[in-house]
Amino acid sequence: MDALKILAEACADVRPAEPDDAPWAARFTAAPADAGEAAALLRAAADLGLAVVPRGGGTRLRWGAPPTRCDLLVDTRRMDRIVEHAAGDLVVTAEAGTPLAVLGAALAEHGQRLSLDGQPPGATVGGAVASGAAGPLRLLYGSPRDLVIGLTIVRADGAVARSGGKVVKNVAGYDLGRLFAGSSGTLGLIVSATFRLHPVPEARAFVSRTFAGPGEAHDAVQRVLHSPAYPAAVECSSAAGHRVDVLLEGVANGVPDRAAAVADLLGGGTVAAGPPSGWAELPAGGTLVHASVPPGSLRDLLAVPLPADAALAWSASGHARVVLPGGTAPGRVADALAALRALGSAVVRDAPPDVRDAVDVWGEIPGLALMRRVKDQFDPDHRLSPGRFAGGI
Amino acid sequence: MTAADPPRDRPSLLGDCVHCGFCLPTCPTYVLWGEEMDSPRGRIHLMAQREEGAPLSPEMAGHFDACLGCMACVTACPSGVQYDRLIEMTRAEVEAEHPRPLREKLLREAVFRLFPYRRRLRAVRGPLRLYQRSGLPALVRRSGVLERISPSLAAMERLAPPLGPAPRLPERVAARGTRRATVGMLTGCVQGEFFPGVNAATARVLALEGCDVVIPRDQGCCGALSLHSGRAEEAAAFARATIAAFEAVDVVVVNSAGCGSSMKDYADVLADDPAWARRAAALSAKTRDFAEFVDELGPRAERHPLPVTVAYHDACHLSHAQKIRSQPRRLLAGIPELAVREIADPDVCCGSAGTYNLFQPEAAARLGDRKAGSVRATDAELLVAANPGCSMQIATALRRQGADIAVAHTAQVLDASLRGLGRGALVGSDSSTDN
Amino acid sequence: MGTPLDRLAARFTALLGRDSVIDDPVRLRTYECDGLTTHRASPGLVVLPETAEDVAAVVRDCVAAGVPYVARGSGTGLSGGALPRTDGVLIVTARMRRILEIDIPNQRAVVEPGVINLDVTRAVRPYGYYFAPDPSSQQICSVGGNVAENSGGAHCLKYGFTAHHVLSCEVVTPDGEIVELGEGPGYDLLGVFVGAEGTLGITTKITVRLTRVPETVQTLLAAFTSIEAGGTAVSAIIGAGVVPAAIEMMDALSIEAAEAAVGCGYPEGAAAVLIVELDGPASEVAHQFAEVERLCRDAGAFEVRIAADDAERALIWTGRKSAFAAVGRISPAYLVQDGVIPRTALPRVLARIDALSAASGVRVANVFHAGDGNLHPLVLFDDAEEGAAERAEEVSGAILDLCVEHGGSITGEHGVGVDKARYMPRMFTDTDLDTMQMVRCGFDPAGLCNPGKVFPTPRLCGEVPGVKKGPHPLVAEGKAELF
Repeated sequence: MDALKILAEACADVRPAEPDDAPWAARFTAAPADAGEAAALLRAAADLGLAVVPRGGGTRLRWGAPPTRCDLLVDTRRMDRIVEHAAGDLVVTAEAGTPLAVLGAALAEHGQRLSLDGQPPGATVGGAVASGAAGPLRLLYGSPRDLVIGLTIVRADGAVARSGGKVVKNVAGYDLGRLFAGSSGTLGLIVSATFRLHPVPEARAFVSRTFAGPGEAHDAVQRVLHSPAYPAAVECSSAAGHRVDVLLEGVANGVPDRAAAVADLLGGGTVAAGPPSGWAELPAGGTLVHASVPPGSLRDLLAVPLPADAALAWSASGHARVVLPGGTAPGRVADALAALRALGSAVVRDAPPDVRDAVDVWGEIPGLALMRRVKDQFDPDHRLSPGRFAGGI
Repeated sequence: MTAADPPRDRPSLLGDCVHCGFCLPTCPTYVLWGEEMDSPRGRIHLMAQREEGAPLSPEMAGHFDACLGCMACVTACPSGVQYDRLIEMTRAEVEAEHPRPLREKLLREAVFRLFPYRRRLRAVRGPLRLYQRSGLPALVRRSGVLERISPSLAAMERLAPPLGPAPRLPERVAARGTRRATVGMLTGCVQGEFFPGVNAATARVLALEGCDVVIPRDQGCCGALSLHSGRAEEAAAFARATIAAFEAVDVVVVNSAGCGSSMKDYADVLADDPAWARRAAALSAKTRDFAEFVDELGPRAERHPLPVTVAYHDACHLSHAQKIRSQPRRLLAGIPELAVREIADPDVCCGSAGTYNLFQPEAAARLGDRKAGSVRATDAELLVAANPGCSMQIATALRRQGADIAVAHTAQVLDASLRGLGRGALVGSDSSTDN
Repeated sequence: MGTPLDRLAARFTALLGRDSVIDDPVRLRTYECDGLTTHRASPGLVVLPETAEDVAAVVRDCVAAGVPYVARGSGTGLSGGALPRTDGVLIVTARMRRILEIDIPNQRAVVEPGVINLDVTRAVRPYGYYFAPDPSSQQICSVGGNVAENSGGAHCLKYGFTAHHVLSCEVVTPDGEIVELGEGPGYDLLGVFVGAEGTLGITTKITVRLTRVPETVQTLLAAFTSIEAGGTAVSAIIGAGVVPAAIEMMDALSIEAAEAAVGCGYPEGAAAVLIVELDGPASEVAHQFAEVERLCRDAGAFEVRIAADDAERALIWTGRKSAFAAVGRISPAYLVQDGVIPRTALPRVLARIDALSAASGVRVANVFHAGDGNLHPLVLFDDAEEGAAERAEEVSGAILDLCVEHGGSITGEHGVGVDKARYMPRMFTDTDLDTMQMVRCGFDPAGLCNPGKVFPTPRLCGEVPGVKKGPHPLVAEGKAELF
């Protein structure tokens, strides 16, 4: 109980953890109100030698391995202020616990958006950065690492550090925003992030067509990519046949022409104003694999033998997501992983315990020795989300 | 620099360089070796070291010698650094202060005593023609004997173009039709002796376009080779003689890029000579490159179709020293059915650079090979260049690669079109492409 | 035999050949600075390796000898990022300049670090592609240098920086290991490597993303009678939801310089010109371009010129792209600054710079990427005049203070290098800088890889928590701080 008292001095909202707080066992849960409380909390945790795992909306807590130890769960959801929206500069700063939906609504009032999609409902700013994940718009706008222009973190020792700033163009110092993007809470606690924004496009159009074979879908995607259509996203999903969806964004009197041109490139696609069903979504549950597959290998990706009820979605940014339904035998998952790794890297994000234990979750990790050394610098005692990350970091 | 500006000394000229590096990619030796001290920026830095009192070591002199003087850097420089003036000053210093090994000294003397003198060149033409016809060249090249004696001699041997008869031009060629201008014509040394066809074509084109062409008998070398090699006094003497020879005409047309550029520089060469400064400036002002002049004059004679694909090569002394790039292209494009192709990296020198291929044969050969490769990539049938040195250099490199391509001067192409000679006049009978 | 550098010279000569090692003092001095000439240091040794293995071997030998090393590409940097060490080795990548692969189906190319930026575009242009980062020095700067500096350029407003266009890098780490940093699992080490100014290792192979050449490019030049009016136009354009490929502004003094250098023929009497470029699908560009033109006129443009073709477009850009070097024609010497401010602060900050200039008598020419608030004030002075350089430096520093005060940055694209390291504490706390240096300690615990750049005070890496052995000598001498 001593520990709880010490933590309570640092942060007003501390309590013993409850089973619903995380998919694994934790001792305490704390919800700091701001960066100051978060810093005091991590300092106290450092004094106590506690293992600390951050959480936001809880939408991706099952990603990565479960922590080998979790003494203190830091819930960021009380840090939910939009600190500054400089609309004229197309820049926003928000605290880590701000739900992306809330942020999106506030930006939309000014005709602006954070061009980051594919986020599960309830996802927060901090969680999005820590996961590094992005949806179809990644093709044109990149992922969190490309959109974050400033980041404030609390280090393992409780010190607050900032990198970047609130101007888009800035090369002063190392870009810790890119390092922290996708770092899964293993380097520090993200307390706020500054993003570059884009105007909400005046018009959008989705052009879709389903192809019978991998080769045809592949060729269609190549035609679109090498055309001047300037797509915001090109997706290929494989369920019944191979469907190619192209998203065009722009001004109202230009998008229809481009949509028609893309429809031609697809050999007769249908044009719709809204997203097709399943756009940027995958079925939940089972084993989720993220693979990196460049456009030139789409044909091979679509030819990878997968269980009949598996779902596959590929973005032209070169990222594929594969869901193998619960109950798929670990051996079949391993086969799928091997086939994907022949095309690029592939990581198991989420999986039932039996699958996780049976397969190589991360695959080859180039530069792992360097990663460990960077981790050792930021978290010498390995107390931040221990074991959750690549190579057991 | 206009004649009214006070002459600037080297420290002041050096101060113009802001070290931005924009000159690097256009410098042939930087392209070859990737070393700072063999780039214009590096050479300027070496010159600055000289100003601070660093001795002129053999290493330093070597980097100045390695400069081709192509002046691509002058074109590329956004700060207006007068590298042409700087390297001339520095070369004069190298000539005066740098002791050269005996063999190098003898070779340089031989070159400077031969090339600027038409009569001496003419004297070697006879034996050279005999040598070329004898079958000896193949033997000599196979044996590598010249390479062993001197790479430079070997370069001279390889570069000598196949020689035909060299007809003598009259002193005056009358305009066809109404006269539009009276022009003097420089015949040049190498051009005159090794490419006599170019001079004849130049005179014919000028006449067909309505010019009375005056070709003074007493003209000699313009001094370009000496000027670009730091032999300032020799250059000044040649300049004075050339000025005197052409004082009577209003325009001097020059078909050799190197000669034209040095004549346009006479104002600087003789700026310190009170007796000649004004006369030199006057000659510089009325000097025109052949393409520059004909383009300015505008077409009058009928252009007959010439169904040939040509690659146009920018001679450095035309494009960089005289900023003449669009005019020859316009002239060529004005010929019906003729297609002009661009050569990749047009700014980078072919390695000829006056005497460079004689004194720095290895670097010159590598640059020649690069250029020949770019020329071949165009798939053109005919290479057009406006400088005899470039023509010899690139043709040699192409032969080395086993790709024989016809070579012509802009004047010869125009001549063929104006006279309706057809493509055969330029690319030979070529049964391979045209039955 | 001899000093560590002598021994290294002998080793490198054996390894790379005589032609790839420079040890003659006169030759070495030509490497004493990059594009920033105010900082000079003649390197102890220069090597010109041609392969990654050679670079790795050189690095390993340097580390074994405890000798610092610095990588240099074309030497065009403007912050002294490639400033050599007199006691160290300069590793020049100018001979690593092969384009190894052009992969159009995957929209990427693989190049060696010495490949010139513009040469990538030249090579892929026939396929309808280009390499988007376009720093003004693109005709000579190397891709390896772009990676080190995270170079931007006029068009990064729409297309982003080098970091967004590099997919992976083969890197020689400060251990002399060859590692591929890219899209694999784990930390985004590539993300922090790009823009680390050569302090985390040397890239030996770069996979760059290629961008489809837009269907249309439209460029206009708008002339204004005041800088403020130009600033108003910029805000209006961005406010209208237009994302131009570039918005550039030049003031009267820089226009004068560019005019003298390249005769770009900008409208006479302009106190400011704005270059606005839109690119993309033809129908949309046409629509937005008309709007931009109207917004410029509404803001008070007295002349708007629209480039009719590539040649006219090139002429408009020539003035802008040559502006830095061109200033050499109107001033014997100058300092270039690279501060960034939020775009909306433009009018206020420009007025303050004007006031600074008037009060100090130091002339300031302004050239800037107005779209992203990246200012390039050129602070003019005469280096022959006593105290002029110091006064210029003072004005320069004051401008950076203005940028930081308005929530901006001390450098938008030139990098910190050696030149702005001392300004870093104005923007970041000691803890911020210490945290950044944790990355450096992870990569380069010995601190031999381009030391003295980016950070004003080196962080000591070897300290294991709990094992304190008394103060490090550098701390005792006050040369380093321990966190």
